[in-house]
Amino acid sequence: MQGSRPLVRVVRLGLVSYQEGLRLQQVYVDRHRSGPAHSLLLCEHPPVYTTGIRHQPYPASRLDPLRLLGAEVHRANRGGLITFHGPGQLVCYPVLDLSGFRKSVRWYVAQLEKTVVSACGSLGVTATTSPHTGVWVGDNKICAMGIHCGRYVTSHGLALNCNTDLSWFSHIVPCGIEGKGVTSLSRELRRDVSVHEATPHLLAAFGEHFHCELSEDGEYSVLN
Amino acid sequence: MAMRATLRCLSANFSPRLPLLSSAGRDNRAARLRWVSGTRRTFSSCSVLSTALKFTEKHEWVQVEGGIGTVGISSYAQDALGDVVYCGLPEVGQRLEQMDEFGALESVKAASELYSPLTGEVTAINTQLAENPGLVNKDCYAEGWLIKMTIEKPEEVDALMDQAAYDKFIKSLEE
Repeated sequence: MQGSRPLVRVVRLGLVSYQEGLRLQQVYVDRHRSGPAHSLLLCEHPPVYTTGIRHQPYPASRLDPLRLLGAEVHRANRGGLITFHGPGQLVCYPVLDLSGFRKSVRWYVAQLEKTVVSACGSLGVTATTSPHTGVWVGDNKICAMGIHCGRYVTSHGLALNCNTDLSWFSHIVPCGIEGKGVTSLSRELRRDVSVHEATPHLLAAFGEHFHCELSEDGEYSVLN
Repeated sequence: MAMRATLRCLSANFSPRLPLLSSAGRDNRAARLRWVSGTRRTFSSCSVLSTALKFTEKHEWVQVEGGIGTVGISSYAQDALGDVVYCGLPEVGQRLEQMDEFGALESVKAASELYSPLTGEVTAINTQLAENPGLVNKDCYAEGWLIKMTIEKPEEVDALMDQAAYDKFIKSLEE
């Protein structure tokens, strides 16, 4: 077994509500109870704003106007402040047991950032990291991150703007960082870049930075 | 994924300035046996620890004094987390079973759960962490303490690792 790379199963959920995404993540988190069951959930969400464990800056009075825009609003037990998910954004939830990789969330988040930087690079976009967690093109965030870790099992993850309607972000201060903007692969490349196009680049980069084997056995999520 | 423990939000208005980095907490893995007392503490002004630190496999430490256990995370843990920007801690009075989730620390956009090392009731939480969550990194064995709790089952303390065992445990992880 020595030297063998961990196996991570890719699960394509398609367009699912944020709530359904949470439920499915929990299903995959729970699978780790009976042994390694690393998974990489991929999906898109209908428009939704989410906040993390630091929800105090976002009382109902601040969140209710967002619902009037036609988006859902959810609290999540992830790190990071407020963000938006919507169609055209590649959402990736790695559900890994860090015992099979490295037991450090700091390392894990750094690897996720490198994964996205590589994926952007292979699409022709030069992206960088910064002291603010996430992936940036200059002062504009192209990919948000916020994760949860319990008993070394990760959930939540990252959201890469492909051809997202970025005007949704104008109603919030994304990730609580004033003075910065957002961007997308489509905006940077000045052509339409879909989630479908970006996904293989993200998967290849993930396999590279996490030294793992990705499996796509065609079995979709168990909806029980 | 919902936490069973109720979280008390201690976060003040978080501004996106960078937390100060300090190497003090990161380099020192040895237990600090001198207890720094200060006026902000809720407890008495003992200046020397009466018992040594015990450690869990989840890299938390417990220090028992006068029947009360003070809980924090080890230097190894704070290093693995990165700079802590927020501490979600339980309410005073909350009863915890050993291994119950009692809160979370946020660092690098990651919310990492905390697990109770012992069975008991929360008697105090470190309110300094609301304004200064970085204490968990800078001074993890003293000013960065998280909660204090009663000790319902002293045998749980006995079963925890002492400093030597914990140091050995860390070495085995790094191999």
